Amino acid sequence: MGDFTLESKPVLDGFDHDWNGTRLRELTEMAAVAVSVPKGGATALGKKMKTGYGGGIPAAGESYVGKNDARIMSFAVDQFLVLFDHTAHSGVPAVEKKLGNTGYYVEQTNNWVFLELSGPLARNAMERICAVNTHADKFAVDRAERTSMEHMGAVLCRTGEDTFLIMSASSTAGSFLHALETSMEFVG
Amino acid sequence: MSQEMRLQGGQIDRGQKISFSWNGKTMQGYQGDTLASALLANNVKLVGRSFKYHRPRGIFSAGSEEPNALVQLRKGAYQEPNTRATVAELFEGMEATSQNHKGTLAFDVLAMNDLVSPFLSAGFYYKTFMWPKAFWEKVYEPFIRSAAGLGALSGETDPDVYDKGFLHCDVLVIGSGPAGLSAALAAGRSGAQVLLCDEDNVFGGRLNAETFEVGGVSGVEWAQTAIGELEAMDNVRVMNRTTVYGAFDHGIYGALEKKTDHLRSANGKPRNIAWKIYSGRAILCAGATERSIAFGNNDRPGVMLAGSVRAYANRWGVATGKSIAVFTNNDDGWRTANDLVAAGANVAAVIDSRDGEPVMSVTGASVTMGASVSDTVGRRALKGITLTNGQTLDVDCLAVAGGWSPNVHLTCHQRGRPTWRDDIAAFVPGGDLPPGMSVAGSANGTYGTGACLAEGRAAANAAVKELGFTASRKAADKAEDEAANITAYWHVKESTKRAWVDLQNDVTTKDVKQAEQEGFRSVEHLKRYTTLGMATDQGKTANVLGLAIMAEARGKTIPETGTTIFRPPYSPVPFGALAGRAKGKNFQPYRLTPSDKWAKEQGASFVESGPWMRAEWYPKNGETFWRDSVDREVNATRGSVGICDVTTLGKIDIQGKDAAKLLNMAYANGFAKLAVGKTRYGIMLREDGICMDDGTTARLSEHHFVMTTTTVNAVAIYRHLDFIRQCLYPDWDVHIMSVTDSWAQYAVAGPNSRALLRKVVDAEFDISNEAFPFMGCADITVCGGIPARLFRISFSGELAYEIAVPSRYGDSLIRVLHEAGKEFDVVPYGLEALSVMRIEKGHVVASELTGQTTAQNLGMGRMVSKVKDCIGNTLSEREYMNRDEIWNLVGLQPVDKSLKLDGGSHFIEHGSEPTMDNDLGWMTSVAYSPTLGHYIGLGFVKAGNSRKGDVVRAWDGIRQKDVEVEIVSAHFLDPEGERLRG
Repeated sequence: MGDFTLESKPVLDGFDHDWNGTRLRELTEMAAVAVSVPKGGATALGKKMKTGYGGGIPAAGESYVGKNDARIMSFAVDQFLVLFDHTAHSGVPAVEKKLGNTGYYVEQTNNWVFLELSGPLARNAMERICAVNTHADKFAVDRAERTSMEHMGAVLCRTGEDTFLIMSASSTAGSFLHALETSMEFVG
Repeated sequence: MSQEMRLQGGQIDRGQKISFSWNGKTMQGYQGDTLASALLANNVKLVGRSFKYHRPRGIFSAGSEEPNALVQLRKGAYQEPNTRATVAELFEGMEATSQNHKGTLAFDVLAMNDLVSPFLSAGFYYKTFMWPKAFWEKVYEPFIRSAAGLGALSGETDPDVYDKGFLHCDVLVIGSGPAGLSAALAAGRSGAQVLLCDEDNVFGGRLNAETFEVGGVSGVEWAQTAIGELEAMDNVRVMNRTTVYGAFDHGIYGALEKKTDHLRSANGKPRNIAWKIYSGRAILCAGATERSIAFGNNDRPGVMLAGSVRAYANRWGVATGKSIAVFTNNDDGWRTANDLVAAGANVAAVIDSRDGEPVMSVTGASVTMGASVSDTVGRRALKGITLTNGQTLDVDCLAVAGGWSPNVHLTCHQRGRPTWRDDIAAFVPGGDLPPGMSVAGSANGTYGTGACLAEGRAAANAAVKELGFTASRKAADKAEDEAANITAYWHVKESTKRAWVDLQNDVTTKDVKQAEQEGFRSVEHLKRYTTLGMATDQGKTANVLGLAIMAEARGKTIPETGTTIFRPPYSPVPFGALAGRAKGKNFQPYRLTPSDKWAKEQGASFVESGPWMRAEWYPKNGETFWRDSVDREVNATRGSVGICDVTTLGKIDIQGKDAAKLLNMAYANGFAKLAVGKTRYGIMLREDGICMDDGTTARLSEHHFVMTTTTVNAVAIYRHLDFIRQCLYPDWDVHIMSVTDSWAQYAVAGPNSRALLRKVVDAEFDISNEAFPFMGCADITVCGGIPARLFRISFSGELAYEIAVPSRYGDSLIRVLHEAGKEFDVVPYGLEALSVMRIEKGHVVASELTGQTTAQNLGMGRMVSKVKDCIGNTLSEREYMNRDEIWNLVGLQPVDKSLKLDGGSHFIEHGSEPTMDNDLGWMTSVAYSPTLGHYIGLGFVKAGNSRKGDVVRAWDGIRQKDVEVEIVSAHFLDPEGERLRG
C-alpha cells in the first residue's frame, strides 16, 4: 500500500448560515444505524434496547430520546433508526456493542445529510416545503416524522421548541439545502 | 384632477397620499384605496372596453366579482394583465393602463364591432364564418384570434418569484365578515387551532362597507376588536389578502396569499403563495355577491351595483357620481340611497320595481314605485336614464340593486348542487357539502347581521364539538337584522335596446333567448354556447340573471331549469403561483455522486441519468469532438487502467436468515449456494416471465448480501423485493435497506487495475488473482483503515474491480486513485466510454431490457433455473416465448466498415419492402469501437442465433438510411473472458 490517506468530507462541506437569528447548519458528527428486528427476535432485542438505550423497540411512527441522547425513531415495521453523536468511520460497532447480535444492522450515516434548523423563523421556513404540522401541540419536542419536501424524502424531528433535525438523502443534499435556503430567503 | 369625488369619512388614511398613474396620467389617492376607488375619486368613469363589442365600460363593483374594470399593472416583464382594479391595492408609483383596445381607450378602433353586433351574437363563430370553407383557417380564425382576448402578456419571462406552502388547522374559517369573525372567535375560544382567511386586505367583510353597529359599536370597530382578540390567541392564525379558491378532498383547501402585490417592489420575496390547507372542519362565511337587473344599455360606465356604490361611499369616502339614481327590486337598494345621502352624496332618485309604499324616505330624492329603468344614454359615461313610465333623469351614476347571491362556490367543488330559495330569490348551499364543511351567514342565505353573528358562532361550536373540543359558552355579539325583502325581477321587458346579462363576456338577454330558441337549453349548454359565466369573474354577477332569463324563456321555474355549479378556482390564480418555486433549475432535485466536484474540476461533460448527474466524458485539451474523448478513454482503459464512477447503481443491503431465499425467489438463477466472499450476476423476471432487471449480488457473510441494481431500476427493484418479503413471504426472516447513497463506488478497469488498487488497499488484504479471483468480494480497509468493499466484477470485459467506500470518503478516494494511478497513466472514463466497452463485450442495459424481452431473447434462457421456484419462471416457459423464431440478441457490424450504424434501425431482408410484415428486428445499441476500428451494434433479430454470418439491411426510415450489416456474435471482444479473469 502506498502512502495515501482518505479525508472525510461532509456532504455539504459543513454548511452553516444564520438569517437574523435563525440558523441552518449541517451536523457533521452524527451517526445513523438502521436496526432490523429478526423474525422471532423482538423479545431479545427489546431487552437489549431497554438496557442499552432505556426504551423498547419503537412501533412504526414512534420515536424517543434514549440514553446518552441517542434518538430512536421508527418509520417501518420491524425497523428503526438509532441516531447518535459519533465521529468514527462507522456507527455500527457502537450499536452492536449495546445490542449484541440481537438485531441486523446497516450503516446509514452516509446515506443521509443531517441538518439542523433553529430559531424563530424555523417553523415559517418549514411550512413552505413541509406538509407536517409543526405546531407544538401537534408535533411535540422529540417527535419524528417521515415526510417529503420538494419531492425529496425526508425525516423531520423536533429537537427543541424552535429547533428541528432534518434528514434527507445525501445524494440530493445540494437540492435539499437549496430548498431550505430558499425557504429561509423567502421568510427571512 | 384632484379627487373631486371624495366624500368625508371612510377608512382611508388621508394623511398618506399616494401618487399613481392611469394611462400615463398622474393622479392622487390615499393609503387604503384600491385602484378602483382612487379612479372613481378622480372621477374616472371609463376604464376599459368590453370583450366582444368593445363597448365603453366602467367600474361595476367593489370586489373580486368585478367583470369590467380589468387593467394592466406594472411594466416590462412584470406586466400583469386582467387585474381587477377593484381588488388592486393602491401603492405609491403604481402604473396602471387600460387594455383591450386598438387606439386610445376613448377612441377604440375595434368599437366598430359594436356596429356589426347583429352578426356577432351567441355562437356566431359556429355559423357566421362557415363559408368559404378555406377562409376559416386562413382568414377568419387568425383575425378572430388576434382580436380576441383581454389584456396582453409581456412575452418575457416572469421575473417575480412564487412559493407554495402547507397550513394546518382544526377549523378553517373562510371569510371575515360578521359570520366569519363570530365563527373564528367561537372556535378560537374553544382552544382549537383556527385559521381565518379573507381575500380582502382589511378584515371585516361587508362590515367595512356598511354603517351597521355590532355590540354597540360600529361594525368596523367591532371587526378590528375581534381581529385583535384573535391575533392574541396562540391557537389562531389570521391571514388577509388570502383567497381560499378551492375545496378539495379530505378537508384540503387551496388558498392564494397575495404577499407583495400591494407593494411597489417585492424585493425578491414571493409575490404569491399557493397554500395547501389541511383542515379538520371548514366554515364557509364567504358572504354574498350582488347582482344586476338587465335593461337597455345597462352596461354604460356609471351603471354600478348598488352595494358597491354604498361601499365606495362608506369605506373609501368616494361618491360614484355627482347625481346618483338607485334602481332596486329589494329593500337593500334603499339602504344605498340612505347611506349615500348620509355621506353627503347627491341622490336624485330611487326607482323601485315593486309596487307599494316607499321603504324609507330619502332626503332630496324623487321616489318612483312600480317602475323600472328601460334605457340609458351617454357613450363614455352615463348621462341619463329613461324609466318605463317615460320619465327621463339626468344622472351620471345608476346604482342597481337586483338582489344578492350567496357565494356558494366552494360548496360546489365536490359536485354539491345549490338549491333555490324563493324568499330571497337566490341559490343557497345544497345538502351535499364537501365533507367537514358547514356554511354560515350570507353565504348560507342569512342576510341579517345579527343572524350572521349567531349563525357563525353556532357553526363554530358545532365544528369544535365534533373535533372533541369544548365549545365556548360566550354568546355572539348582538346586532340588528336589516330588512332584505325582495321581489324577484330579472330584466326589464319594456326595454327595446340590448340589455347585458354578463358584462365580461358581452352576453345579452337576446343571446340567452337565442340559445334557448336554438336548443341550447341546458344550463351547461347555455354557458358554453353564449360564454355566459366564463373568464375571470366566472359569472359571479351574471349567472343567476342568465339562468332566470333562460327559465322565463322556457316557461319554467329556476329550479326546474337547473343550475350551474362552480369549479375551482373561486377567483383567478396565477400560473406562477401554481408552479411555485419549481421552475428552471429548481424544477426537480438533482442527485450528485461524491465525485461530482472532482469531475467538474476535470471539465467533465454531464448527462442526466434519471435525477442523477453523471459524467459522460472528460474532454482534454485539443479534443473538439466528444468521440475524441470517448475513444481515448476506451483505449487508455483497455491499454492500462481507467476509473469510472458507478455510485449511481442501486445498492440494497439484504440481511436475515432467509436472505438467500429472498434472492433465490427474486433472481431467475440460483443464489442459495453462492459462497461467502463471492459475487454472482443475476437476472430478474417479472411475473409474466419478461426480464425486469439484471445486476450482481455479493455474499458478505452467511446471512448478509449486497445487491446491485441498474441505476434506473433501483427503486423499482427495492419495491419488488419488499413486495416479495412483505406480501408473498411475510414469515421469512429477511430485511432490506437501501444503501445506494451510503457508498461511493468506482469501477477500476484495465490490465493495470490490480496494480493500482494494491497502492490503496491495506496490506493485510491480498487481492492477487489467486486470493481474490474473478467474482470475488470482501469487506476490506483502504488507506490505513478506512472501511471499504471490493468486488472483482467487470462490465468492460477487462480485469476490473469495483471499490466502494463510505460516501463521505468518495471525493477523497477518487483523488487518491488518480494520484496512485499516475504511473499507469490512469484516465477517468465516463458513461459513454462505459457504454462503448459494454457493447464491445455484449453486455445488456436498458436498451435491451426493454420490458418486452425475455431471458431467451437475451441469450440467457439457460440462467432461468429449472430446479427452483422464482418469480416469473412459470410464465417464462410459455411456448410462444420459446420458439425458434423468437428474437435473439446478436451483434451487428457494417459490411462496409466505414459506415456508421444507428440505433433504432430495423432489419430487413435484401429485396424486401420495409414493412411491419418484413421486420426482422431492430438495433438496440450502437457504438464506434475504437478497439475494432469500426461501428458495432447490438440488436434483436428473429432466429438470430441461427443467422450468424448472414447479411441483412439496417433500414432507418427516420434518417433515410439503409446499411448492409452482418449478423455476428454479441461478444465482439474477448469472448472467452480471458482478460477479466487475468
